[in-house]
Amino acid sequence: MTQTFDARRWWLLVGKHWSENRKKYTLALIAIAGLLLLWYTVMLLSDGHRSMYPGVQVSTYYTGLFIAGCLYGSMLFTDLGSKTRGLNYLVVPASHLEKLLCSLFYAVVVFFVCYTAIFYIVDIVMVKAANAVAYSHWLKGHAAGDEFEPRKIANVFYQPAQSKAPEMLEYLLLLYFVIQAIFIVGSVYFARFSFIKTTIAALLTGLCIAFLIGKVILPILPHGSYYRGITSYHVYTVKEGITINGVTSGISIYSDPATDKLITLPPWIDDVLLFLLKFAFAPFLWLAAYFRLKEKEI
Amino acid sequence: MINIQNLHFAYRKKPVFTGLSLQLQPGHIYGLLGKNGTGKSTLLRNIAGLLFPDKGRIEVLGFTPGKRQPAFLQEIFIVPEEFYLPDVPLRHLVQYHAPFYPKFNRAQFDKYITEFDIPRTSTLQNMSYGQKKKVLISFGLASNASMLLMDEPTNGLDIMSKSQFRKVMAGAMDENKCIVISTHQVKDLENLIDRITVIDEGKILFDQTVDAISRKLSFKIAFDSEEIKQALYGESSLRGSAIITANTSGEESKLDLELLYKAIVLKGAAVTAVFKD
Repeated sequence: MTQTFDARRWWLLVGKHWSENRKKYTLALIAIAGLLLLWYTVMLLSDGHRSMYPGVQVSTYYTGLFIAGCLYGSMLFTDLGSKTRGLNYLVVPASHLEKLLCSLFYAVVVFFVCYTAIFYIVDIVMVKAANAVAYSHWLKGHAAGDEFEPRKIANVFYQPAQSKAPEMLEYLLLLYFVIQAIFIVGSVYFARFSFIKTTIAALLTGLCIAFLIGKVILPILPHGSYYRGITSYHVYTVKEGITINGVTSGISIYSDPATDKLITLPPWIDDVLLFLLKFAFAPFLWLAAYFRLKEKEI
Repeated sequence: MINIQNLHFAYRKKPVFTGLSLQLQPGHIYGLLGKNGTGKSTLLRNIAGLLFPDKGRIEVLGFTPGKRQPAFLQEIFIVPEEFYLPDVPLRHLVQYHAPFYPKFNRAQFDKYITEFDIPRTSTLQNMSYGQKKKVLISFGLASNASMLLMDEPTNGLDIMSKSQFRKVMAGAMDENKCIVISTHQVKDLENLIDRITVIDEGKILFDQTVDAISRKLSFKIAFDSEEIKQALYGESSLRGSAIITANTSGEESKLDLELLYKAIVLKGAAVTAVFKD
């Protein structure tokens, strides 16, 4: 039996985790269903049939997913903040990798599947209820032969290709996993008030990065802007105003073929960077959580 | 089994161990004695891999504890002074926790639970602190881990439970196990431990087997003032003075652990000198 990962031992951990947390998890899912139901009901009462637009359903799904998923992520390793619970966790005969993968299984996979299932159960019920109410109102104001157009259940993972941003939901979902991973790392690093501390730490890091880009990197670069991705940079000089027949207009020219330059790096770098941003950020943060777990002392 | 060499450990800037060395062998129940705050619990946590040494080396059953490998963790069980047990029924604890310990024996666990008089139907959270502690001790013993570390195991146990504890512990011992019991309630360990290790100021002050102590020291009640004066350590009581002297007659006397502990702490040099002969 390997000391790093053994599927049987990992499965034992999954079972143990479930036996110890099933009451808590069941109650949490009921609470999520209740809150979704309450939200839709309030929306329905205040805005009627229009409240069930697909856009509203999608934003409800992602708002709930981000809030509940990140809260759960920030509580994933709270046991390590308590001497007694932390000791109980660390002495279980399983490797650090198995322990981390068990926690990730619940936070990333089980939570996501359960939340989505709960959301759709509530969503289907509420869309049907909204349609029933709307149809009864519609009947009063329309003649026979008119066609009632009911609200549809939104697909929260897919935007039609003809929509303004067809890839938006894909990016939103990937962003969710990255942000949840930040809160998971935070729960290993911060013994107490992990959610608040992680939020502050993430905001400060974001501000530092923005400062670094805005005040350090951009002033070093020649005047210009990124052009089709981040591997090509368009260098140009701004000519303030155009003089025609001795009259200077307020129009500025941002491009001059004589002096402009286009600096490009191989386009595959763009693909690699995009791939890393989309798929490597969350695993990298999980890896950070693994190393922190390994060095945890109680 | 346990080999500690030149252990240095500090909590931030407060040093606890500055060069502690100790070897523990299987087949013994070690009594780790010492005042509060001398590092008994810290030593147990270092052995269990819950704290990492700043300097020096700890080897337990051929493993480096700090790596917390599964093969190491399934051979070591710690009963901490303050502990946590999940809110599950007793049968779930066995069903979901026991499979991690390959040598866990269900019949043994049931026997200890019966001996400790634990209600089987109750969930762990509904049990008293003492009952929970007895469940943890039963589980640790039934896990048949080679190394059992206990930190103040009799704290929170009533008089009857303390006697049950001694009985259960004595019955669970075998030549492959090493049990380390850290306590400052030395009376609770009398007739149970077979090696006494006293820790003070992060150093080993005394480390002898009970057999050696019985051979080298004599524990008695004295009335003769000259004998009391020449004793290694003594304290007056209502029925005369309880004293410790060097055993010159070869007759073995009943070990008074509390008296010995006080003698080691207060007259350490005199007591240890007897063992150098």
